[in-house]
Amino acid sequence: MPRTFVLMLAFYCLLPPAQAAWEPEKLGRNLTALAKPLPAPDFALKDMDDESYSFADYRGKVVLLNFWATWCPPCRREMPSMERLHQMLDSDVFKVIAINQMESPDHVFAYTGQLAVDPTFPILFDSDSSIANAYKVKGLPTTYLIDKQGMIRYRAIGGREFDHPDVVKLIKQLIEE
Amino acid sequence: MILVKNTPDGISSLCVNLRRAGMACVCFAAFAPPVLAANISVQKNPDSGLLAWTMEDEGISIELIQLLPDFVRAIYSAHNFPKAEVEAIASWCVFGTILKNTSQQQMSYRVADWRYIGEDGVEQPIKTKTQWIEQWRRAGINFSWTLLPDSGDFEVGDWQQGFTTIKLPRDSTFDLVISWKLDGEKHVGKFENLRCAPESLK
Repeated sequence: MPRTFVLMLAFYCLLPPAQAAWEPEKLGRNLTALAKPLPAPDFALKDMDDESYSFADYRGKVVLLNFWATWCPPCRREMPSMERLHQMLDSDVFKVIAINQMESPDHVFAYTGQLAVDPTFPILFDSDSSIANAYKVKGLPTTYLIDKQGMIRYRAIGGREFDHPDVVKLIKQLIEE
Repeated sequence: MILVKNTPDGISSLCVNLRRAGMACVCFAAFAPPVLAANISVQKNPDSGLLAWTMEDEGISIELIQLLPDFVRAIYSAHNFPKAEVEAIASWCVFGTILKNTSQQQMSYRVADWRYIGEDGVEQPIKTKTQWIEQWRRAGINFSWTLLPDSGDFEVGDWQQGFTTIKLPRDSTFDLVISWKLDGEKHVGKFENLRCAPESLK
């Protein structure tokens, strides 16, 4: 069993009941609309199979861009909802991209192998957090909803239930613009 | 020692006993925001005995969870920190911190504004994430996550978690004064008698 999972297990074992009570609490569904949309910084990153992805290739699609790491509990909690969202919407007009922070592909591969549903959206590797810095990410998880013109329109700090109807409605609005 | 005194007109005054400076008592009445009598609950893990404190106050929920030094060591060792840096942070009093905006407005915080008061009664700032990162960069480390971000502007529903570090020995008790802003208005809350985790589980 990879070391991280041992650590995660240890973490949950050490948490007091308050944490146990907090853990099942439902994730929120609020995304914050940016008063002034900002251009999403471009990037080129690789996935687990060493395949390159350029963000510019996604112009014309709405993108949910998620910054995460395996050691981050809310990142893990929200990931299944990202997969459900990814499955729910037409991939010709909408994409989910998860950008892992400073972990190895082997490590993330081991993590995703233990999920009930393997993520089918791209997981890219920001090995030095330079892309997170470009997006001014302060903590994990942080998620941006980016419109077809490549403008950041919504932001979420902390875990969310991304397949909640309220979030889906926002995404569909952006798709229809 | 930190004393919170509520005056009849509702204005709280904060008296700080500055023993080191040999000053008797300095009271701030009119200009400092009141330290609120926050709703704080404490939970004890029946298995480990570790404690967690949760403050639910105006627009904010903050939970502080005791972390054992071995847990802190494991986290940073897993990110290939040099042993000296692993031991450096593990020697501090580290809490897992979950900070939530529970209001329907913007909630902002700055760790640099927070203070802890140890058993010597001296008010001290908290070492920020930026300060840790500067130290780590000098040691050749570029890892910048796990610690609670220095500051945040949380919109409705936003929340964050990360480690908060206090430079006190194992089993120390201390008070923690935190502040935050709701739509620009400053609020202050205080945890009393927080306790650092022991060296290990008994």
